[in-house]
Amino acid sequence: MNDEREDRLVAAAGKLAKSIEPERDLWPGIAEAIEAPQRRNWTPMFAQAAAVVLLVATSSAVTWYAVKDDTVVAPEYSAELIFEQASFGSVYTLGPGFQEARGMLMADLNAGLEQLSPEERADIENSLAVVQSVIGQINAELENDPENVYLQELLLRTYRDELALMRRVGGLTKNVMLRNDI
Amino acid sequence: MEALLTVETSDYSQGMVSTENQATTDEAGLIERAKRSDSKAFEALYRMHIGQVYGLCLRMTGNVSEAEDCAQDAFIQAWNKLDRFRGDSAFSTWLHRIAVNAVLGRMRKSKREHDRIQVAAAESTAPASIGDSGNLRDLSDAVDKLPEGARHVFVLYAVYGYSHKEAGKMLDIAVGTSKAQLHRARRLLVQQLEKEGFEA
Repeated sequence: MNDEREDRLVAAAGKLAKSIEPERDLWPGIAEAIEAPQRRNWTPMFAQAAAVVLLVATSSAVTWYAVKDDTVVAPEYSAELIFEQASFGSVYTLGPGFQEARGMLMADLNAGLEQLSPEERADIENSLAVVQSVIGQINAELENDPENVYLQELLLRTYRDELALMRRVGGLTKNVMLRNDI
Repeated sequence: MEALLTVETSDYSQGMVSTENQATTDEAGLIERAKRSDSKAFEALYRMHIGQVYGLCLRMTGNVSEAEDCAQDAFIQAWNKLDRFRGDSAFSTWLHRIAVNAVLGRMRKSKREHDRIQVAAAESTAPASIGDSGNLRDLSDAVDKLPEGARHVFVLYAVYGYSHKEAGKMLDIAVGTSKAQLHRARRLLVQQLEKEGFEA
């Protein structure tokens, strides 16, 4: 009985108006958007290409560092590292868990760097500099094109690499965020 | 008399076909011109399709201002993606897909701006029944009150006549999920309309 009633209801829904005119003309807003001067396309594309190259280089450095022998003990100074603020577009957001984990890792970073030999420390600092440079570039591009999903994904991956690098430096055994927790 | 009737009917049918063909040709020409960045041609396409696109957005969002924003977004995206339209489907279907994406995109944003949208919703009543009359108004209002997932599937399947496969593709959900949401929508609608004494 209910099925029949539901069927009648679906049939009635097919009679609902499909075309509804908006109460105001939406064209002026559309015209304004599509007739605005086109943003130069080469800049984001160039930046994206550069970001990809840098990201590959960073990932390679991180991978190399992660797999190499880690018998390390040679205290030295700690470097001050400045990190970009995460600014994601509409698709991805960094949760408080990520920010907390990142804060913990940053706090441990200096101590971790002191445990490394000068060569290893230089490697890490170079890798972090590359990662931060990439983060800076992607963030800058995202300001121009905040809805660019490709850039958002790239930024997310870069932050993951940064986390992985910092965790590696600290030699952390704490139960902090893993790559896939972001 | 019968022959006359046949001739008249035949003439009428041919006339209709001819008019439809003309409209299709016109639309194809407008699309080609719009692809070459002719905004006047695109405006003509907008005038042809805004009712359907806005109607879909309004029924999916249940909110006038959100529907207006979605419809605008959809046409702006359509302009930007026009070179990718190959004519594999009808232009209206292609526009509908873009409109559905615009709605889903805005709803994802809305969840993050929940308070803002609540205010917007309170300020903007949702007369989705604007184009309907009689009992259909009750049905339209009931559809508007459905939970989001069920409403989206019901609008695409029952109102706009898309298959579960097509609706699932548009909404990025499995066919089974689409069927389950439709089942849920039907049940909820019957419950709600029974209270109001609706007769289909």
